[in-house]
Amino acid sequence: MDTFREIISVVSVFVLPMLIVGIPLYGLIKRVPVYESFVEGGKEGFGLAVRIIPYLVAILFAIGMFRASGAMEALATFLSPVLALIGMPAEVLPMAIVRPLTGSGSVAIVADLAAQYGETSIITRMAATMFGSTETTFYVIAVYFGAVGVSKARHALAAGLIADVAAMLFAVWMCLLFFG
Amino acid sequence: MLNYIWAGLIIVSLLFALGSDIGDLTGDTYRNGQPLPVRLEFDRPFDADAPRQPVSLVLDSLAFRSFYDASGTPEPAYAATLRRSDDGGLEVRLDDSDAALPAPLDAIRDATNPRDQVLQGTLSDLEVQQDSAGAVATAGLTFLPVRFVKLGAITTAAIDFAEIAVTISIGLIGVLALFLGLSKIAEEAGIIYALVKLVRPILGPLFPEIPKDHPAMGMIALNFAANIFGLGNAATPFGIKAMEEMQDLNPDKETATNSMAMFLAMNTASVQLIPPVTLIAILGVETNNVYFPILFTTAGSLTVAIIVTKLLQRMPRFRQSDPLRQQASDPSPET
Repeated sequence: MDTFREIISVVSVFVLPMLIVGIPLYGLIKRVPVYESFVEGGKEGFGLAVRIIPYLVAILFAIGMFRASGAMEALATFLSPVLALIGMPAEVLPMAIVRPLTGSGSVAIVADLAAQYGETSIITRMAATMFGSTETTFYVIAVYFGAVGVSKARHALAAGLIADVAAMLFAVWMCLLFFG
Repeated sequence: MLNYIWAGLIIVSLLFALGSDIGDLTGDTYRNGQPLPVRLEFDRPFDADAPRQPVSLVLDSLAFRSFYDASGTPEPAYAATLRRSDDGGLEVRLDDSDAALPAPLDAIRDATNPRDQVLQGTLSDLEVQQDSAGAVATAGLTFLPVRFVKLGAITTAAIDFAEIAVTISIGLIGVLALFLGLSKIAEEAGIIYALVKLVRPILGPLFPEIPKDHPAMGMIALNFAANIFGLGNAATPFGIKAMEEMQDLNPDKETATNSMAMFLAMNTASVQLIPPVTLIAILGVETNNVYFPILFTTAGSLTVAIIVTKLLQRMPRFRQSDPLRQQASDPSPET
């Protein structure tokens, strides 16, 4: 197990460098005007950051209030027997609840946890894993079924939500396995 | 759904804060208006006329605990300044804003002096005993009344976090631009088409209702390929096109087919080899460390999504509602 962790932690170092170097290299091989494409794509960075502001405000201030009122602590105490069973810290719970509902809201939660507990804390890592490993189920279903006018989704939503629950549990266990 | 959760957070916060504040008022947690017995120690002889003089504030643990009915222990002594207030009374103000204060003094400090974050209060019943080196005095220390601490706290939190949200977003611009730029290169280099070759072979068994060479298959493959590479913006148009192609094969335009359900379940479980750009922007280099947990989690949840969809569509309830099955068993739909 320890060797496995060791190998993963070594390989992990290469993830971002591979992307940052690999993609322009691949583009070059495919004869893409890499610089122009990069700048073209990069222009969207500002727009995206500005676009998510209202979502961040909405989620962050609500969660901030919830924490400041002491309700979060009470909820954590109340749910601690259940959460302890699956190994999830109570701080991660908002992420598990919000993830299927809003993507930008989930971004807000990761950012908040990173600021509160640090980027390398297991809490932030669990929330980040939850964020990165699933999609905004309700949004995806609304967009795709809405686009073709299907109103009876049958088992699609149930399957999506069960997969989400599975993803939350896997995220907790993976982080405990890797960083616990 | 999100509406209720969001509004619920805010309303529960308010109710919780009010409940705890009313509890504080009825239980008199902060002993508003009552003097806390304290001892003051002077290095120099006490000078009643001096505008300000240094003093060390000593709280007796037992007296403190019985006064507030609290369990904390104060520090042995707090460096403070004794000064004349404008109306001629005496005030004590701690010098250090970082001084460790036991509850509920910390809450009193935050509530009564939010700007400087130092504890201050007015003295009464001062009894000084001069000696050769300095002076020792006993007195009562009264703080400004503290009410609705939690209500203030949630209001402050709302305002503060609104500000933090903007700071966070603006801080993300650079890294977002970096990775959106890289995504664009990948997109133009046709990475989606390279990945389609990987995805295509495994789709057959997952979508048995779609003929092998039907355009729906191609669109599904393109959608998955774009998702795998984290190209969400490119994935959505392919996904919608895939839904339209599947709708062509669907006899009942209002009801989802098994293929549609499978496609959506797989999409919500999300197959991602590249983490979302927003995550990279928040975590920076730390993304490296969560990469493999994300990869294994996404693979696991995708497997669960596929198995659950296959199982659910075998349930009698969903078998009956299957549009393709209805068409097969009942060629003339006149119900």
